[in-house]
Amino acid sequence: MRILIVEDERKVAELVARGLRAERYAVDVAETGDAGWAMISTYDYDLLILDLMLPGIDGLELVRRTRRRNAGIPILVLTARDATQSKVENFEAGADDYLTKPFAFAELQVRVKALLRRGPVARNSTVRVADLELDRLTQQVRRGGRRIALTAKEYALLEYLAIQPGRVYSRSMIVEHVWDQGFEGLTNIVDVYVRHLREKLDAPFPVKLIHTVRGVGYFLAEEAPP
Amino acid sequence: MRAASLRFRLTLWYAAVFTAVVAGLAALLVLNLRQYLENSLWDTQVRRAHQIAETLVANVGATGEAYLGKQVDALYAPEKSDRFIRITRQDGHVAYCSGAPADQSFAPAAVPAAPLTPRLEFSREQAVTGQASLLIAAVRAGTPTGESYLIEVGISAAPVDALFRHVLWLLGLCLPVVVAFAAAGGYVLVGRALDPVDRIAAKAEQISQHNLDERLPIAQTGDELERLSLALNHMIGRLDDAFQNSKRFVADASHELRTPLTILRGELEELAQDRHLGPAPRERLGSLLEEVERLTKIVERLFALSRLDAGEAQAERVRFDLAEMATATAAQLALLAEDRRIALSWEAPAPVWVEGDRARLKQVVVNLLDNAIKYTPELGSVRLRVDAAEDRAVLEVDDTGIGIAAEALPHVFDRFYRADKARSRSPDGAGLGLAIVKSICSAHHGEVDAFSVVGKGSRFRVRLPLAAADPR
Repeated sequence: MRILIVEDERKVAELVARGLRAERYAVDVAETGDAGWAMISTYDYDLLILDLMLPGIDGLELVRRTRRRNAGIPILVLTARDATQSKVENFEAGADDYLTKPFAFAELQVRVKALLRRGPVARNSTVRVADLELDRLTQQVRRGGRRIALTAKEYALLEYLAIQPGRVYSRSMIVEHVWDQGFEGLTNIVDVYVRHLREKLDAPFPVKLIHTVRGVGYFLAEEAPP
Repeated sequence: MRAASLRFRLTLWYAAVFTAVVAGLAALLVLNLRQYLENSLWDTQVRRAHQIAETLVANVGATGEAYLGKQVDALYAPEKSDRFIRITRQDGHVAYCSGAPADQSFAPAAVPAAPLTPRLEFSREQAVTGQASLLIAAVRAGTPTGESYLIEVGISAAPVDALFRHVLWLLGLCLPVVVAFAAAGGYVLVGRALDPVDRIAAKAEQISQHNLDERLPIAQTGDELERLSLALNHMIGRLDDAFQNSKRFVADASHELRTPLTILRGELEELAQDRHLGPAPRERLGSLLEEVERLTKIVERLFALSRLDAGEAQAERVRFDLAEMATATAAQLALLAEDRRIALSWEAPAPVWVEGDRARLKQVVVNLLDNAIKYTPELGSVRLRVDAAEDRAVLEVDDTGIGIAAEALPHVFDRFYRADKARSRSPDGAGLGLAIVKSICSAHHGEVDAFSVVGKGSRFRVRLPLAAADPR
């Protein structure tokens, strides 16, 4: 999978590139809109990640041109503006998704993965992590064969963490995904729910599944932090 | 009519000055009139005395004193014309004295003798029994035979006094009426002159930070008022610029901070996930990341505020049941309260329809409840109530928390204001939550107030316009 990053902030570009390379993607970086356009015209990319504020051809224009040339390529916009207006503009110009700076790298990973797998994602109805089992249809949870009763929110939180075990989710990602826009900024609610979830899920068992990476977020896995 | 109003005071001043001027004029007039009348009376008497001296007294040697008396009676008839005439020889012998006048205003016999000084001519005012005094002119005349006579001609001052009293009475009656008319006229005129000031003041009161683009009406009068309104408008313009600048600054600053924050966060996250890291550096990285998260939150909120300032509060406008939304939100926050052993309850007797941005209004409920829970000690309670009162939707959040001091209450909605300085280290608070609540409420043409008793608890009340009745 080959990804092009068009971003004039070199440090941001390097950071994203390094992270994506670690996930075994082939990554190219262009620092101006013109350089980016030249590379898009030359190579076939599977995903385009770009900043909106670019020297030369600006981000929105680049999205439009890319769309005219290749309707299928997924485009992820990184933006420092998050006004609703520019959100609408992004989608109208043909972007598939957007991320507002500052973003958690984990969130970028999730979005990239989702965009590269576009189309119907094979959704297993059962998710397994170690001896934990989630039935996504009936929303039933079992651990070690024992049934664990969860509230709807606790279940939603657990499912979000369990879909990609080992991946760290920031608290704001969890708030946005499990709760909604109105709870923006209320990240302490995540801590409370995680604590409740741990009491039900981990407390009775010797092996702990929910882990904390301080300052980053939470992840679900059998082993200790990566 | 307020005693303190400029209009009232100007009218009062005007009336006072007017009264003083008119009273002064009247006094001058009256005194002059009196002087003039008296002078002319004197003149007449003096002339008459001279006449008697020249025509009759000069010949007294030839005609005799008895003839003189007859002639005076015949020519001047002093009794009929209420005049006093007396002719006295230099040795004190009274050659002639007129009888009592027809109106009996004085008794001629009672008039004391004139001083027999050698002055040729003098006059005096002589009080006699009766009401009026006599104005007496005296002239000394010599005869060819060497005799000398004093001729006194007097007239009662009563008519002058009567006229004087009449004029005074007339003035006393007219002055209040004239002053009253002038004051009324002045009041109307001042009112008309101040009318543009009223209009300017009324408009100026409506202008706040949200409508600085509006201007005051220009009084097109070409005078000080026009200059005043122009000057005020220029000032509003400068305020507007300053406000725009500060808003733009916040927007720009929060925007510019995003990229460095992204880098900080990304680099730190990458480090934090390094497997070879010992527990101590991992702790430090975690602490750094928490600070980055706090900074991020501040930037997000500042940006949100600048968007609200720019009037982007109602990205979407939908009609929804505030009661349903608020109670559902409270239910979602129940665990947060339970965690702190706070009893969170909610009550909404009926649907309350409002129109606006649902996500933003939800943020209002979340921020208010979160705040209430945060500042309420364990085992306290937080209560949410939504209802409609008159034409407003009313949402109240009560808590049994630490309360807010009276002097802090007006500032709780200010940006970065903290009622309790000791709490400023709270990781969550950027001191912007309530500022956002206020901005969202004003953007929805609503308002939010805070009431509190220290140690007992606080109440935050949001009022929003009700939407029209459910069309379904």
